[in-house]
Amino acid sequence: MNDSTPVLRVRDLTKRYGDNTVLDRVSIEVGRHEIVGIVGENGAGKTTLFNILSGVVEADSGQVELNGQEIDPRDYHSATLLGISRVFQEQALIPNIKVYENLLLSHEALFTRALQFIDGGKMIAAAEAIVREGGLDIDVTRRTSDYSFSKRQLIEIARACLVPSMVLGIEHPVVLLDEPTAALEKSDEERFFDLMKRLKARGSLVFVSHRLTEILEACDTVYVLKDGKLVARLRAAEANEHMLHGLMVGRERDADYYHEGEQRDVSDQAVVFQTEGLSSAGRYSDVSLEVYAGEVLGIGGLLDSGKSEFGKGAMGIVAPDRGTVTLSGHPAHRPEVRDLVGKGVGYVPAERLTEGMISPFPLAWNVTMASGGDIFANRLGIWRSQHEIDVTERSIELLKIKADHAKVPCERLSGGNQQKVVLARWLCRPLKVLILDNPTRGVDAGAKEEIYQLIRGLTADGVAVILITDDLLELIGLSNRIAIMQRGRVAKTVAAAPDGKPSERQLIELMLSSDAKVAGSRGPRAAEYAEAVVA
Amino acid sequence: MASLFTTLFAPPRRHHLDVIAGMWLPVIVVLFIILFFTFTTDAFMTLRNLRAISGQASALLLACLGATFVVLMGSIDLSVGAIVLLVGAITVNAINALGLGVEALAVGILIGALLGTVNGVIFAYGKIPSFVVTLGSLSIFTGAAWELLQGRAIRYDSADFENLAIGQLIPFVQNIGLFAIGAWLMMVFVCFKTRFGRYMFIIGGGEAVARTTGIPVRRYKVMAFALSGMMAGLAGALAVARLGTAGPTLGQDLLLNSLAAIVVGGTSLSGGVGGVHRTLIGVLIIALLDNGLNLMGVNQYSQMMVKGAVVIAAVLVGQDRSKSVVMK
Repeated sequence: MNDSTPVLRVRDLTKRYGDNTVLDRVSIEVGRHEIVGIVGENGAGKTTLFNILSGVVEADSGQVELNGQEIDPRDYHSATLLGISRVFQEQALIPNIKVYENLLLSHEALFTRALQFIDGGKMIAAAEAIVREGGLDIDVTRRTSDYSFSKRQLIEIARACLVPSMVLGIEHPVVLLDEPTAALEKSDEERFFDLMKRLKARGSLVFVSHRLTEILEACDTVYVLKDGKLVARLRAAEANEHMLHGLMVGRERDADYYHEGEQRDVSDQAVVFQTEGLSSAGRYSDVSLEVYAGEVLGIGGLLDSGKSEFGKGAMGIVAPDRGTVTLSGHPAHRPEVRDLVGKGVGYVPAERLTEGMISPFPLAWNVTMASGGDIFANRLGIWRSQHEIDVTERSIELLKIKADHAKVPCERLSGGNQQKVVLARWLCRPLKVLILDNPTRGVDAGAKEEIYQLIRGLTADGVAVILITDDLLELIGLSNRIAIMQRGRVAKTVAAAPDGKPSERQLIELMLSSDAKVAGSRGPRAAEYAEAVVA
Repeated sequence: MASLFTTLFAPPRRHHLDVIAGMWLPVIVVLFIILFFTFTTDAFMTLRNLRAISGQASALLLACLGATFVVLMGSIDLSVGAIVLLVGAITVNAINALGLGVEALAVGILIGALLGTVNGVIFAYGKIPSFVVTLGSLSIFTGAAWELLQGRAIRYDSADFENLAIGQLIPFVQNIGLFAIGAWLMMVFVCFKTRFGRYMFIIGGGEAVARTTGIPVRRYKVMAFALSGMMAGLAGALAVARLGTAGPTLGQDLLLNSLAAIVVGGTSLSGGVGGVHRTLIGVLIIALLDNGLNLMGVNQYSQMMVKGAVVIAAVLVGQDRSKSVVMK
């Protein structure tokens, strides 16, 4: 095998969840000693691609070839042994054990003495060699939790990058890095790029980041994913941020699909719900937003923008540290779920199966869940079972939920129908405000439109809707105004009247621009970019 | 055609046998046990013995009806037996010191509810796992009861109180049996026809979901433990009425038996699955086994081994464990 054969070759990788195709015949190649960047919006398929390559999920079709041989890792450990390792978005180090134990975790068998006793000395020596090679100033015998989050991130990167070649004897490892710099402090970023260079001499890297400047500086080749499809392959030296933005977005938006004609003019309406200075340490800070009767207020931002966390805070599900919410006609107060539900606020979480519904339970139970306190039980606490069935059957009919009867377990329904059940939970109550977090995630196109229609129907009745979403077209199509959050703060609020909708590209630039600003010191290119965005 | 075929003949989601096992296996087991002991012992199918079984089963049923709600909401109450013991000790002392009669039953229920509430408050507001809280209170309550009893069995003298349990309002049926069946019916109603019951299922099935819908989770957790304590209190008072004394061994076998009955009945320890109605079947299985093995002359130690095996087998056969990834 010569040096020009790619070390990793991915062909026609496809992954579907129900009707939702998250990866559609994606092919990429990673050459020897190459750093490959992958960019795309939230939901473009980057993480799914990594999940498949690292054995966490299985592809529906397509091949992965490593060094010319087809592989099919069945879990993360076997992927590591084959030579593909990964740094996860969330840290995977165990905090209460020593650094060297983390570095060599799951490879202890290589460091044993007679009778399978672990040889700590040998492990420490190997771990010290790893941090030395990685250029890190870390004492491997200390507890992992003694180091800052940022330092732990470096440890984790060093583990993924150097253990395969230094410990497992893999000749040319491939390392997958998923947003590795998001958690790094400024002072550690240099070390990170240094680490990447050192690793390049030993193997290849695949690097996902929202920080396009980083991608362009560090990578040799850049792939752009959009809606699960590969749209471009570029030499980093020939690309710039504007090109990448244009490729990441730029879809046709069908105004009918989002019922844009039904968007209400709310200039004569009153504010129904308002947050003031809502803050939660490390999640979001000082978020003050208001939403008018009949309005859809969109909230967009990257995954780490704190938009979902803000939604949970405004509803009182995770109590904020500071700040208040105000419902029209009530004094400002700390958000508290039960109180807000009682006053006509509803919340649909993003994680349907863990927070949205209890899927083994009957449809009816999931519909009435939020109304046990006032509608479906009488003063003595006796459940009004017949009323429950009646209301559920009416919901099935009105929302066109595909279910035979009110007692079908929700796990038998498709994603779209499940989501309608969660919506029905709030529609059966007198509603003033509805907070939606990614209401159409994992929902097929048909059911999506029905949900959009439903949202329009609600606003026609004067309900104020807060729509937190990663789907840019949905954000633009449905919203009257769009608040863009960056690192926990509202960076800008953009008007989105039916005849003056912002483009995807504008929004993406707003979401990313703080990276450019923060990175201002990194070079003329970043500063230039920041100016371009401000202008 | 193909689509019609698949709709009509698609295999059920869960394996058919599993569904049968989950729903009907416990009932089949009860029938099997009855048949088995009827043919292997002479004394089993006698009026005298049936009365003995119903007495034992009633005390057990009363003790674990409330605890079933706790298990249903995904927690555990290990202190049921200890509450029975402590309430028994307090009731006897109250009768002797204050000359109470039937009123002592109310004392028992109240003390039980109070002890359960203490468990619940520490669990829900102190955010300590229910296993730890009730393991601790199990020891505290038992110690307190032994302190009260001074290691002796204490008798009481109140025919009225005794009649509560062993009197026969209906010929051949001890009153404690009526209490048990009455309480069972009431709790089945609570389980399926009230807000409280529904919330127990919801908290057990998905506490995170319950939180997003504004269900006052902590309050209902306390209520569940209070109910568990209250029913254990009722069981304790009636057990004293049935036995005529409160001794240090009162409620001793309830730690295993109550959880065994709940789990064997089919209420899952992971929460959200099962129901109070099933606990009756679990209680029958445990009580019949205890009684029949006694009659067969199987010694105490072997009985313990058999019961332990039955509990493990019940969970092994009856529950759908395919979705559980982590077992703790």
